[in-house]
Amino acid sequence: MKQGRKSGLTFALTMICLVMGIIVAWQYGSVKANTQIASFEKKRVSELVEDILQERGNNEKLQQRIEELQNELAAFDTEASGDRDAMETLRKEARIARIIAGLETVKGGGLLIEMDAAGDRIIEDRHMLELVNELRASDVQAMSINDERIVATSEIRKAGRYLMVNGHQLVTPYVVKAIGDPKKMENSLRLLGGILEKYALYEFKVTLTPSDNLIIPAARDDEMALRINLMTPIEP
Amino acid sequence: MTRYRSVLFVVLMLFGIGIVMQFRTVMDKDTGSGPSARELAQRLDGERTEGARLLETLSKLEADYAERLRQIGENQGSGEFSSLLEARNQAFFQAGLTRVKGSGIVMTLNDAVTPGDMAIEDYIIHDSDIIPLLNELRIAGAEAVSINGERILGMTKTICAGPTILINSSRYPVPFEFKAIGDPQRLYDAMENSESVAVLRIYDIRVDIRTEPELVIEKYRSYGALGDLTAGLEVVVQ
Repeated sequence: MKQGRKSGLTFALTMICLVMGIIVAWQYGSVKANTQIASFEKKRVSELVEDILQERGNNEKLQQRIEELQNELAAFDTEASGDRDAMETLRKEARIARIIAGLETVKGGGLLIEMDAAGDRIIEDRHMLELVNELRASDVQAMSINDERIVATSEIRKAGRYLMVNGHQLVTPYVVKAIGDPKKMENSLRLLGGILEKYALYEFKVTLTPSDNLIIPAARDDEMALRINLMTPIEP
Repeated sequence: MTRYRSVLFVVLMLFGIGIVMQFRTVMDKDTGSGPSARELAQRLDGERTEGARLLETLSKLEADYAERLRQIGENQGSGEFSSLLEARNQAFFQAGLTRVKGSGIVMTLNDAVTPGDMAIEDYIIHDSDIIPLLNELRIAGAEAVSINGERILGMTKTICAGPTILINSSRYPVPFEFKAIGDPQRLYDAMENSESVAVLRIYDIRVDIRTEPELVIEKYRSYGALGDLTAGLEVVVQ
């Protein structure tokens, strides 16, 4: 009798513990899943915020560009001065386009970067590519390496111990001129774990000099830098 | 009996902890601070719709503008205006501000279908994968390049931003479609034999390359005033 009562109690307790155990395990699983969902949501939210800011910025700029064009069109319509305005606009647009293409020598404030190998390791194409790209990410407006203007078709390649840009052999030290906001560019190069830190490990000697008067020469007009002979424009 | 009590005590304590944890996660969900992902997604959609509308307005205006310039040129018939217009159009072409056509290649990059044994980051495409590819296309003589329709200029930025990559001023997720105008066979061979492409393929990133007899590459989409791109530059006359 006593024995029977005891085993009944043991059985009941076993069942309770089993049920509890299942509940706890299930609970643990759902808590874990919930925290994972929460971290995904948090990440998703910050990405969405960035996307919204980017789109909003683009839209504001589009609005500006639309107004600019509307004004130009309105100016054409005011008779007498119309044609003269149109000519002036064409000159201005051509000048801006030639600067973007890299066909004008330009002047402005920015950062002068001198780079040379001080150890056994030589400066390779990928190192220069990385530097150039870091500058692009910091809103550089014009750039040159040893006075070779960087244009849309400029390549950076390894040629023996040195680099070749726009089909021209360069020698060290490499002097990169970058017109833009010198603070912004310097900060992104000096970032913790950034490329200057890496170059220090490679024993590259790098000096940064902000300057308010950098002159960057135009690309040579020899189809080596800016190549356009295999394509034709589609007029709007 | 005391043994049963202590067992019961432990069991009930676990039960209690379970309930509290559940309660807390439910609470956390309800009191999430700031706007929810859904609200933000709606706002983003709104901005994108607005962007599409503005872009449409802009391209209409640009067409009107080009037409107007052509009319003035025809009416005047004078040499000066026509030659200015021609010089301006040539400069736009050289700067990448005009749509272009020619033969070349199309190369598509897509993340690995299923990640293997290495770190998950290795199976995803980063800006550091795209940058050498652009350089190799240039070495192989590419004259015009676009990624997902974004024309690549000399100062174009490509920045990795989470699962998307910022190109010029818009963010794009995978797949990345490169178009390059140049000598198709030379471009094709260069990319098929490229070390960067080989490395991507080791990580099961899908890289498809094909030649195209005729390709159209979009012009650089300029947000803001044209002069914004050159605001810090002054022309030096030599």
